[in-house]
Amino acid sequence: MFKKPMRKLLGSALIAATMLTGASAKAEVSFEGQTITVIIPFKEGGGTSRVFRFFQPYLSKYLPGNPVVQLQNIPGGGTIKGANFFHNNQNPDGTFLFATSSSVNIQQATGNELAEFDLSQYRPVMSLATSTHWFTRSDLASGPNDISGLQARELSLFPFKTASSADLFHLWIYDKLGINARPIPGLSTSAGFQSFLRGELQMASQGTSGFLGKVVPEIEAGNAVQFMTLGVLQADGSVARPSYSPDAITFPEMYEKTQGMPLEGEDLEAFKVIAANWGPASKGLFLPSDTPQDIVDAWRDAIRKMTEDPQFIADAPGNIGPFPVVIGEPVEEIFANAVNLSDASKAQFNDALKKYGMTFRIP
Amino acid sequence: MEMFIAALIELFQPSHFPYLMLGTLLGLTLGILPGLGGTSGLAILLPFVYTFEPGVALAMMIGALAPTTTSDTFPAVLLGIPGTAGSQATVLDGHPMAKRGEAARALSAAFLASLTGGLFGALILSISIVFARPIIMAFGFGEQFLLILLALLMVGALTGANFLKGIASCFVGLVIGTIGLAEITGDPRFTFGTLYLRDGFPLIVMGLGLFAVPEIIGLLQSRSTIAEGGKLKIGWLDGLRDVKDNWFLVLRCSSLGVMVGALPGLGGTVVDWIAYSHAKQTVKNPEKLGTGDIRGVIAPESANNAKEGGALIPTILFGIPGSGNKVLLLGGLILVGIEPGIEMVTTQLDVTYLIIWSLAVANVIGAGLCIFLARPMAQLTRVPFYILAPVLIALIFFATYNASRDWIDFFSLMAFGAVGVVFKAFGWSRPALLIGFFLASKIELLSYQANAAYGWSFLTRTGSLILIALALATVVFLIRQKGSEVGESSRRDQKGQLIFTGLLALFPAAMIVAISGLDPRANVFPIALSGALLVMLFTIAVLQAMRLNPASSATVNRIAPLRIMSRNIFENEGTLGDHLRAYLILPVFFGLVMLLGFPIAAVALINGFVLMHDRSKYIVSLAISAAVLIILWTLSGALTLQYPAGVIANIISLPWWLGGAY
Repeated sequence: MFKKPMRKLLGSALIAATMLTGASAKAEVSFEGQTITVIIPFKEGGGTSRVFRFFQPYLSKYLPGNPVVQLQNIPGGGTIKGANFFHNNQNPDGTFLFATSSSVNIQQATGNELAEFDLSQYRPVMSLATSTHWFTRSDLASGPNDISGLQARELSLFPFKTASSADLFHLWIYDKLGINARPIPGLSTSAGFQSFLRGELQMASQGTSGFLGKVVPEIEAGNAVQFMTLGVLQADGSVARPSYSPDAITFPEMYEKTQGMPLEGEDLEAFKVIAANWGPASKGLFLPSDTPQDIVDAWRDAIRKMTEDPQFIADAPGNIGPFPVVIGEPVEEIFANAVNLSDASKAQFNDALKKYGMTFRIP
Repeated sequence: MEMFIAALIELFQPSHFPYLMLGTLLGLTLGILPGLGGTSGLAILLPFVYTFEPGVALAMMIGALAPTTTSDTFPAVLLGIPGTAGSQATVLDGHPMAKRGEAARALSAAFLASLTGGLFGALILSISIVFARPIIMAFGFGEQFLLILLALLMVGALTGANFLKGIASCFVGLVIGTIGLAEITGDPRFTFGTLYLRDGFPLIVMGLGLFAVPEIIGLLQSRSTIAEGGKLKIGWLDGLRDVKDNWFLVLRCSSLGVMVGALPGLGGTVVDWIAYSHAKQTVKNPEKLGTGDIRGVIAPESANNAKEGGALIPTILFGIPGSGNKVLLLGGLILVGIEPGIEMVTTQLDVTYLIIWSLAVANVIGAGLCIFLARPMAQLTRVPFYILAPVLIALIFFATYNASRDWIDFFSLMAFGAVGVVFKAFGWSRPALLIGFFLASKIELLSYQANAAYGWSFLTRTGSLILIALALATVVFLIRQKGSEVGESSRRDQKGQLIFTGLLALFPAAMIVAISGLDPRANVFPIALSGALLVMLFTIAVLQAMRLNPASSATVNRIAPLRIMSRNIFENEGTLGDHLRAYLILPVFFGLVMLLGFPIAAVALINGFVLMHDRSKYIVSLAISAAVLIILWTLSGALTLQYPAGVIANIISLPWWLGGAY
């Protein structure tokens, strides 16, 4: 009766890409008898809570001294409340951590004046590389990877949380593809998807886990068509198709297909900001900035052991999705790309905001 | 049918049933404390879900969720504290009954109504889940917008003795509801650069301030027990009989609950108020509601439990949580390998039925236990005020803090507590304010969404036409009802009431000034509401001023519309000065919390308050404060809850839960 969901696509896709951290933990670090607190700037039951709840028993198992791991949810202020709380209570003994999602990045990336935190100061432990998938109604496309129907429309509606969220990237994406789009504000991902199914919206997008769980069945039923993925940003700067959606073309491919020229220059730079935020920087785990190296190593080591646990490998696709876990220093650069915007990128996004009549601007 | 039987068999398996009961007990125990309940129960269970067998985890989660809207009736009726949004309307009649010594009757009626509603919800759910999808799919932005307008109109029945003051109260709520980030543009409105106000005020904290604080103030002033004279009537069986006599009301409100829970847009949060308004519009002698009428308990209780079943429909079919606690349930379902979607009513129908009927059975167990507990729990209303009041203050502070774990919410609690005290004293409608607040952002957003997706054509869709017809019927009904009301204005403290009307006008005026520079999409809605509110307040002030003077009062009496509008324009309950003196205990306790941290402050308050009244009662005060401390400590561990730290946490080293460092 209770089958773990069959996700044939995913079974093999989880690659614990252990971009290794070098030294394994030194013997003297031990959290025996201590309680680890992970601050989560979201409500219980959200995606980030779910990922770290799944990690919780493995962290206890593989951290030296088998400490108790507790998750403390501090929601509010569009993640700023929890993030500021972490920033102002940093205790660098390895028992106080911060779990993030792209909503946290965006507050820093867009220079929210209430944000006191700075992700690029902290010591990254790991991140989870997800992707984003765009889809439209099947009657508006001749098949997968086709947006000619959308481009021909006078107006296509899409769900939009608010301009000061990571959703602002959608404005830039649709603008670059030459779709006459109009954002419908105040719609969460799930409310937006329901509205899409009702036929009120012509296009929408979801993160990979939502896409596989909710959208793929609609695609199989013939109601929706995927037309694009974000793609996966590689270390050399190229963009690959995600292993779990190999047939869908990526945004740079779609750009070249529809605009007749490759994505390059400032456009490419702006895209890389989006690709980092919605890709490898969409979930992260951080230690406070002054944490000693041996404690940081102990944490990264525990995460590496977790990703090698056969039980973890078996259960992870169903619980957190088919995403590679990235460990250690590479995470630092990923987040730097996600939160530190060049003036050219800011101008790109502000242009898009202006075109769509938004009042919000990135300072 | 096969699936149906398979699910029934599974339900009573030893691998399922005992865990369902265990979960129910957990949910029930937590639900008795205001501010906790099913959501907290699920939050406690979630970390263990990985280690349990999926079937066991499912049973425990549903068990924990089911009795939330049942056991929160205890604090609502007995203490006047709405612990969850779903029990706010129950306070209106339930608590006055407790004051008359009829707590047992109110409780047993509430539980039986709740039980019936829950079972009815499960029944409707089992039938409708199979073909609910097209109905929900037809319910677009336009229908959602009209549904919310309809809800707002229905609440017109809750305006209190003076219709004009009631509508103005609703508009005060609507304007408060626009505080925070603008729905369409994301501009901050009336936030004064603070992080706190960007999210707006939390509904549960407003409910506690508006309803629980005035009750505690009242208890302090009565210097007695909640049940006047300390005497209790038995009345336990009467309550059960009341439900039987009002079976049709139960049925109507349960249906309302299922529908509101299942349809997108409104959400289940205000279903208790809608059911209450429905009762007020349809029962005989509606003026008795609000004074401790059993029908005012039965209506919201039968709706809010039925809603749980309804809210499962979108959760199971679309993976879209129909109410707050369904967000956590959804997370839990996915953890045990249940993916919401259309398969839930095709190949996985047995799982769906198992969920539905587990919910129903957990409801029966939960409500049954509650009925059993109604009489002993009613004894709480005989506890003298000097013991009960400090505990209640600690409880509402706890419930406030647990809502969003932010001690700044204490300011909101105290502010809305003060508003509640004055509104109650001067006859302004607190329910209307609360509903207006809750619906404001939805109205603004959905009007924009409906217009963007449909233009005006949404008005001609079938669902829209039905809703418009219902709305018109409600308006006609309200006009007839309000036109026929009688009543006499209070003669006391009239100048004070006039001054308050003037002070109230400062709020919309300040709102207009604060947001006038924003983009029109961000400020048209709040400015229009504020403008309308100013006009209403001006009218009320003029009518009150005219009533002050005998000559102009005679003019008012001669002109029929003025006479109707100014009916009960002055109202007075108690003396505001005395209320405000008793209110001072809240800032005093807040000061203690800032100094000592919440748990130690609660101990200090309880001991201090009890001993100031009776020095010989130190054993009682020590025992109660020790019990409070143990409960707070247990909850801290179970919910990963760190209480607000006081200044002393900087001086001496305290454990984590008392506010110590990480």
